[in-house]
Amino acid sequence: MTQLTIAIAKGRLQHGTLELLANSGLCETKEALSSRRLTLEDESGRFRFIFVKPMDVPVYVAHGVADCGVVGHDVLMESQADLLQPLSLGIGRCRIVVAALAERPENGYGMLRVATKYPRIAAAYFGGRGQPVEVIELSGSVELAPVVGLADCIVDLVETGRTLQDNGLSIVEVIAESTARLVVNRASYQLKATAVGALVAALEAKQPEGDL
Amino acid sequence: MSEPLSKIPNGLRYYSGAEAGLRRRIEETAMSVFDGWSYEEIITPTLDYYSLFERGMGPSEAHHAFRFTDTDGRLLALRPDVTSGIARVTATLFANRTRPLRLCYAAPVFRQHGQSAIEWRRESTQIGCELVGQNSTESDLEVLAIASEVLQRLQFNREYVITLNDVEIFNGVAENLRFDADARDQLRQLIDGRNVADLEGFLGPYASREECRAFSKLIRLSGRLETLERARRVITNARSTAALDRLESLWRILESLGISDHFEIDLGDVSRLDYYTGLTFKIYIEGAGARVGSGGRYDNLTANFGKSEPAVGFVFDLDALAGLLQSRNDGATLLAQSIRRAQCVINSDPTALFSEAIERRACGERVVVGSAEVTP
Repeated sequence: MTQLTIAIAKGRLQHGTLELLANSGLCETKEALSSRRLTLEDESGRFRFIFVKPMDVPVYVAHGVADCGVVGHDVLMESQADLLQPLSLGIGRCRIVVAALAERPENGYGMLRVATKYPRIAAAYFGGRGQPVEVIELSGSVELAPVVGLADCIVDLVETGRTLQDNGLSIVEVIAESTARLVVNRASYQLKATAVGALVAALEAKQPEGDL
Repeated sequence: MSEPLSKIPNGLRYYSGAEAGLRRRIEETAMSVFDGWSYEEIITPTLDYYSLFERGMGPSEAHHAFRFTDTDGRLLALRPDVTSGIARVTATLFANRTRPLRLCYAAPVFRQHGQSAIEWRRESTQIGCELVGQNSTESDLEVLAIASEVLQRLQFNREYVITLNDVEIFNGVAENLRFDADARDQLRQLIDGRNVADLEGFLGPYASREECRAFSKLIRLSGRLETLERARRVITNARSTAALDRLESLWRILESLGISDHFEIDLGDVSRLDYYTGLTFKIYIEGAGARVGSGGRYDNLTANFGKSEPAVGFVFDLDALAGLLQSRNDGATLLAQSIRRAQCVINSDPTALFSEAIERRACGERVVVGSAEVTP
């Protein structure tokens, strides 16, 4: 029997992913929910799960160390890894937005300073409009940057908008909608076609109709 | 602060000992298979005009080459592929030679950046062959048979898959939808990434919901003859149908030859449409996270050099093959065939020393001219 290694993004998506896998009848995941182990096998031996930081999911899958992964579309856009993404899962719905202080001074056509955890998405988005930007890469609490004057705006992920609101920021533009995606390594897709096909089919059956 | 002498540029490395030996064995194995099918080795210049690669690979691929200027100011490049050079020579110097031309090579290529996010190498070795001047199922079969033989000689027995597609299936669909270049490329990217979620949204305005569903199912599943059957139910335009027919007849021959076990039909493989014109294939081996080889038909390539003629060929990535073999026992076996024990020749008189060494060499023995080994 072919075993599939699945990389799961820790944090925001972790719970929803494991729940989805369990609901699809693919595996028992109680242990995973409580465990702090970084790797575990399900009882049937069909799957091995590894838990990694979201930004690292595309890395593990691209190298083929993991055959599949579950990760947000935002991370895929940023990583530009060459992966297959045969399924959009209905979980982890959020938006990648440009946000700024509600009463920001008009910048006109000058240089815009953008603070973000997503330097490539930010550069591609503003580059596509011909807007010159200085991208300031941060690793967290991006909302702080405009408040303390480090940046004119931010490019960040927004789920409820609560953090933005609490810091006096509001959404200026929506760059993209993001949901969790099932990603698959190109070689695994061919070499473990049966196992990958079964996984895709089981997960797809759990997707609400018309919501693909 | 000065740089340490030990430092070498990113993406480059030394190969030595068993690893270097293994690489040479792989090269020799592949080249002997090519020779067995009457392919003639060709060595192309390592440096060439940048414009050659722009014509041969297209600007976006050629862009990855290391570039510098010649003494007359013309732009030169360290070759990022071998096929461009071959296409030019077949259209020019070899224009009057009898067709088909069968050419093969094993040569390093250079890129400013690794070819993908997981490829760190900037110098890698391509082993490949080209069959020029013959447009037939036979020539497609010939290169597929050669690729399979190379893999088997390298003792990859069960664990490889060669996926087949014909780009004309995609071209027919895009033409039928009257797509411009941008939309065509968007469609290509979505299919290539098997991105069903976005594909259905993208195709929404052009087709019924059922058609979109069926189409996305199609590109997501690779398989055998039944894949073509399913495709015929969804894709009915003449151009695609002709390609499906070609693919089917190729498949039936592979089946009759009893080698179809190693092949799959993958209608989602649409990676380089500006380059390929018919059959395309990709080679995957268990243990490698990326393909180890790829190829196909590129009937438009030589036209860029003034003589349009059909051509089909493929390349293996030597680094990927070596990496796989190294991590397995067969690698050791493959290498052991080429390593023999050395006879140590020791004598304090240099004349006697070398007279014995030369004599032993004449008998074909492996010698090491002795003196006590010194560890630095």
